[in-house]
Amino acid sequence: MIKINSKNVDVFYGKKQALFNINLDIEENQVTALIGPSGCGKSTFLRCLNRMNDVIDICRVKGQIIINDFDINDKSCDVVRLREKIGMVFQKPNPFPKTIYENISYGPTIHGMAQSKNEMDEIVENSLKKAALWEEVKDRLHEPGTGLSGGQQQRLCIARAISVKPEVILMDEPCSALDPIATAQIEELIDELKKDHTIIIVTHSMAQAARVSQNTGFFHLGELIEHGSTDKIFKNPENKRTQDYITGRFG
Amino acid sequence: MNKNKEKLLNSRYRAEKRFQFYGKSAIFLALLFLTIFIFKIFSTGYTAFQKTWLIVPVTFDAETMYLDENPSKEDLEDADYFDLALQTMFNLDKSASEKQQNDLKRMVSYFFEREIKRELLNDPSLIGKTKDVYLTASDDLDQVFKGNYPRDLPEDQRRVTDYQLKIFDQLVEQGRVESKFNLSFFTYPDSREAELAGIASSFMGSIFSILVCLVIAFPVAVLAAIYLEEFAPKNRFTDFIEVNINNLAAVPSIVFGLLGLGILLAVFQLPRSTPLVGGITLSLMTLPTIIIACRASLKAVPPSIREAALAMGASKMQTTMHHTVPLSMPGTLSGTIIGLAQALGETAPLILIGMVAFVNTIPGSPLDPAASLPVQIYIWAESAERGFVEKVSACIMVLLGFLIIMNLFAQIIRHKFEKKWS
Amino acid sequence: MNLVIFIFIVLLGFTSYYFGRKKAYSIQATNTRLTALPQFYGYYLAIWCAIPAFIIYSLWAIFEPSIVKLIILSDYSNQGYLDDELNLIYEKTKSLSRGQFSGEITTYLETSAEKYLNLRSIAQNSKVVLILAIIIASIVYGYKRISSNNRTREPVEKFLNAVLFTASLAAILTTIGIVFSLIFQTIDFFKVIPLFDFIFGTHWYPAKAFVRDASEPLDPSMYSDTFGAVPIFAGTFFIALIAMCVAIPIGLMSGIYLAEYASTKVRQYAKPLIEILAGIPTVVYGFFAALTVGPFLKDIGTAMGLEVSAESALAAGGVMGIMIIPFISSLSDDVITSVPQSLRDGSYAMGATKSETIKKVIFPAALPGIVGSILLGVSRAVGETMIVVMASGLAANLTFNPLESTSTITAQIVVILIGDQAFGDPKTQAAFALGMTLFLVTLSLNIFALRVVKKYREKYE
Repeated sequence: MIKINSKNVDVFYGKKQALFNINLDIEENQVTALIGPSGCGKSTFLRCLNRMNDVIDICRVKGQIIINDFDINDKSCDVVRLREKIGMVFQKPNPFPKTIYENISYGPTIHGMAQSKNEMDEIVENSLKKAALWEEVKDRLHEPGTGLSGGQQQRLCIARAISVKPEVILMDEPCSALDPIATAQIEELIDELKKDHTIIIVTHSMAQAARVSQNTGFFHLGELIEHGSTDKIFKNPENKRTQDYITGRFG
Repeated sequence: MNKNKEKLLNSRYRAEKRFQFYGKSAIFLALLFLTIFIFKIFSTGYTAFQKTWLIVPVTFDAETMYLDENPSKEDLEDADYFDLALQTMFNLDKSASEKQQNDLKRMVSYFFEREIKRELLNDPSLIGKTKDVYLTASDDLDQVFKGNYPRDLPEDQRRVTDYQLKIFDQLVEQGRVESKFNLSFFTYPDSREAELAGIASSFMGSIFSILVCLVIAFPVAVLAAIYLEEFAPKNRFTDFIEVNINNLAAVPSIVFGLLGLGILLAVFQLPRSTPLVGGITLSLMTLPTIIIACRASLKAVPPSIREAALAMGASKMQTTMHHTVPLSMPGTLSGTIIGLAQALGETAPLILIGMVAFVNTIPGSPLDPAASLPVQIYIWAESAERGFVEKVSACIMVLLGFLIIMNLFAQIIRHKFEKKWS
Repeated sequence: MNLVIFIFIVLLGFTSYYFGRKKAYSIQATNTRLTALPQFYGYYLAIWCAIPAFIIYSLWAIFEPSIVKLIILSDYSNQGYLDDELNLIYEKTKSLSRGQFSGEITTYLETSAEKYLNLRSIAQNSKVVLILAIIIASIVYGYKRISSNNRTREPVEKFLNAVLFTASLAAILTTIGIVFSLIFQTIDFFKVIPLFDFIFGTHWYPAKAFVRDASEPLDPSMYSDTFGAVPIFAGTFFIALIAMCVAIPIGLMSGIYLAEYASTKVRQYAKPLIEILAGIPTVVYGFFAALTVGPFLKDIGTAMGLEVSAESALAAGGVMGIMIIPFISSLSDDVITSVPQSLRDGSYAMGATKSETIKKVIFPAALPGIVGSILLGVSRAVGETMIVVMASGLAANLTFNPLESTSTITAQIVVILIGDQAFGDPKTQAAFALGMTLFLVTLSLNIFALRVVKKYREKYE
C-alpha cells in the first residue's frame, strides 16, 4: 500500500533549484532508502516530507506530497500536526540538554498525549523499550541525555521520535556519526520498527541501504534517477548512472 | 478524543500567538521609549536655537554717559553706560513707578548695558542721536515669547509680573520684539543668566578631555592589545591581565572618578577641574574598550598572513608591525571612536574630579578649569530657571549629534576599510 | 623649561636615528655584511640616546618636589608644628615665591620663599647638566657598539617587546590604582566609624558630619548614627530591582524575538535602533527621568489619589531599566543564536510550535548565558550614577515604597564629593568606603557573570 505519494516536487534555495520534478511513492510499513552522492538532494527531499524546509527562510517547495489523501504542501495543512505524524531522526544525535525522561516526555507533553504521570511513565518506558535503550538507562532516567554515548544518544533520539507514535519516521543518515557496533544496533532497531512505522532512511552507505531497506531510490544532481525494490536496484539497475554509482565508479 | 485534540491544538496556537505578541510588544516598547525620548528632547530643545530680542530706541546722550564733547576711543571704552542703559528702559514707560521701573530693567538681560556699549563703539558718531538697538530679552520673557511660559498662572507664582507682560505685549504689537538665530548659545561660555549662557566653555572642555583621552588611551591600548594577542605567552600572568581587562570594562564609571580624585588629584597634585585630569580619568576608562576592540580585529587577521610573512624570513616583530597591525587598523580605529564616544558622554567621574565648577571663561588649554558637555547638561538641569530647560535639551541635541557623527564615522571606517576574509 | 628639555631629548633621538643609519651605510660601504637592516642601527642608537635620559628625567620629576619640600621644611622641624600646619607653610611658601600670595608675609616665609626659588633653580640647572651628560655618555656607548657591527635587531626588538609588555600592564596598574585610591581612605574611615555601624546602621545623614576644623581633635562619638549604610544599600538594591523589572521582560523578549522570529529586514533595522538606547549618555537619561517621567508619574498618581514624590524611586528605576534593555536584549540575542540549530530541528520535528521550542528547549539551553547577561545588567544598574542623582532625591530614606524617593551608593558618593573635599575628614572617607563597597559588589558580579557566560560559550563552541 502506498503511504506517501509525491508528484512533481521541485525545491529551490533562493534562485538555485535543488530538486527537479521528483515523483516517488513510499510503501507503508516498509523501509525505503534514499541513496546518492552528497549534495544530490536526498536529504532535501526527506526534509520536504515533514516540511522541515520551512525552517530555512530561502527555501521554496513546489508540487504535491500526498500523505493519507492529503497534500501537505497545501495551505490548510497544519505543520504541527503533520510533524506529530511524521517523526524525524537527524544525522547527528541531538538530544535536548535535559534529562533522559524529559527528552522522551517532551513530545507527548506538548501534544497532550498523557493525562497522568503514570501514563507518561508508561509512554517513556515503552518508547525506550522499543528503541532498545530501556535496559541501559532505566536506572538513570533523570540524568542528562547528553551524558550518554553517541549510539545511545541516537537511540534516545529514536525513542523520542517514536514517543508520539508517528506513522512515518524519517531518518537522515542516522548512523553517519556512529561506530560500527552502534550502527549495527540501530539497523537492527530499524528492522524492528518497520512493523509499526513506515521508515524512510537517507544513507551514504550502499551496504546499509542493501541491509535495511526493501525499496531504494537513487538521486543524482537533484533528480530521482531510478527507484524500485532494493533487490532490483542493486542487482539489476536500469539506468547507466545508477549502475555506475552502485559499482563505485563515482560518488 | 479527536475533539480534545482539536481543542489542545487551538490552545497551543493561541499560546504561540501570545508569545509572538509579547515579543513584538517588547520591541515596540523599546522603540517607543526611544521615540518618546527623542521627540521630548527635540520638542523642548529646538526653541533654544532662537533667541528673543527687544528692539529699543536708545538715545546716546553724552551727558547721561558722563562724556565730554569730543570723546576719544578710550573715553568711550571707559564710559559708564549703566545710567544710559537704565534710562533707555525707563523711557519705555515714562509714568512707571519705582517698582515698575525695576520691572522694566529686568525685562532685558543682566548685562544689557554692554550691548548698548558695543553699539556705540561700533559707530561713535551715534552720540546725541537715537537708534533702535537689539537688546537680549530676559530669559523669562524669552520663554513668554516662545510660548513656553504659563501666563495664566496667578501673578505671585511666576517671575514675570503683570506689568512686564503688559509692556512686553505692547512691544510685540509695535513689532519691537524679534526672534533670531541664537548664535551666542554656541559662542558664549556658561553664565548664571539663562539668556546669556552658552556651551562654548563646556564644548572646549569636552574637546580637550577627549583629546587627552585619545593621546593616552590609544597608544597604550594598541600596544597592550598587540602584546596580548601576538606576543604574550599563554600563562597565569597573561590570564590575569585578561581577566583584569574584562573586569575593568564593567567597573562603574564613578569608581574611575574616585581613582582620579584619590590618585591624580590627591597624590599627584594635578590641577583640579581641568580637562587634563578629566582626560586621564576617561582614558583609564576607555582603555579596556579599545584593547578589546583591537584584540578582536587582530584576531580576525587570518594566521595565513602571519605564516606567509614569517616564511619570508621576517622576524615576529616585523611580521606584526608590517602586516598584522596595519590590517587590523580599521577595526581598532572604529573601536577607538566608539570608546571615545562613550567617554564623551560620561558625567559622573568628571563631577568627582571637580569639572562641575562654574566656569565662565572659555578654556584655552587642557590646564584651564572647564566643564564638559554632559556636565553642563547636569549643571543646567539642576538650575531652577525655566530658561535652562530648553538650554539643557539643546545641549543634549548637540551632544547626541556628536555621538551620532562619531558612531557613523566608526561604521564607515569599519565597512569601507575593513578587509573581509573569506 | 620642562617642555624644552622634553623636546630636546626627542629631537636628539631623531638625530641619532639618522646618525646610526648613516653609520650602518658607511659600514656597508666597506663591503662588510651588516647583521641587520640599516634602520635597526638607527633605532638602536635612538633608543640608547633617548631612553636613559627619559628615565632620569621622570625620576627627577617624581622626586624633586618632595626633596625640595623636605629641605624647606627642615628649617621648621624643631618648632613643634603639626603635619597639617607644615603643609600649609609649604603651600604659602610656594605661592609667595610665585608672587601670588595674598596674606600676612612674615620674615620666616620670605626667607623660605627665597630659599625655595634658589633650590628650584639649582635643581633645574643640575637636571639639565645631568641629562646632557647622560645623553652624551649613552650615545657614545651606543655608537661604539654599532661601529663594531654588533647585533642591533635583537636588542631593538627586545626593547619593543618590553614596551609592549609594559603597555599591557596598564590594565593591572589601573586596577591597582583603583584599589589604592579606595583602600587607604576606607581604612581611615573604619578607624573612626566601626564597620558594624556602617553595615548595620539605619541612619545615613552625612550632612550632619560637617567639615571638621583640622586643628580640632577627632571625636568619633560625633559621628554616631550618621554613617549607617543600610538605607542606601537598600535603596541601591531597590532601584536596581525596579530597573531589572523593566529591563528583563522587555530586553529578554525583544532579544528572543530578534533571534527567533524577526525577518532579516526587521532585525537589520530594529537591532541597531534598540542599541541606540545603550549609546545615549546617562546624564541625558537622568534629565529625561527628572523632567518628564517624574512629573508624569506624579500626575498619574495624583489622578489616582496616590501620594507620589516628584523624585520617586520608580522614575529613576524605570528609566534605568530602559537604559539596560539593549544590554540584555543584545546579549541574550547572541546567547540564543549560539544555541545549535540541531536542537531547534529536533524540537520542530517533534511537532512543537516555535514558542514551545523556545520556551522548552532553547531557553533552558541558553539559560546560563542569559543569567550571565542579566547579572551584567544588574551590575550596570548598581553602578549607574547620573540617573539616580538627577531623578531620585538625595536623602537616604529607608523605604520600599517605589513612589517615595530614595538614594543609592553612587548618588551618595556624588552628594558627598561634589564641591570641596577635605581629605582626612570622615565625610569624604565615607564616600571612598562606599566606593569600595560598590567596587567589590560590581567586581564579584562581573567575575561571576563573565565566568558563567564563558563556560556557556565553551559548551557550544
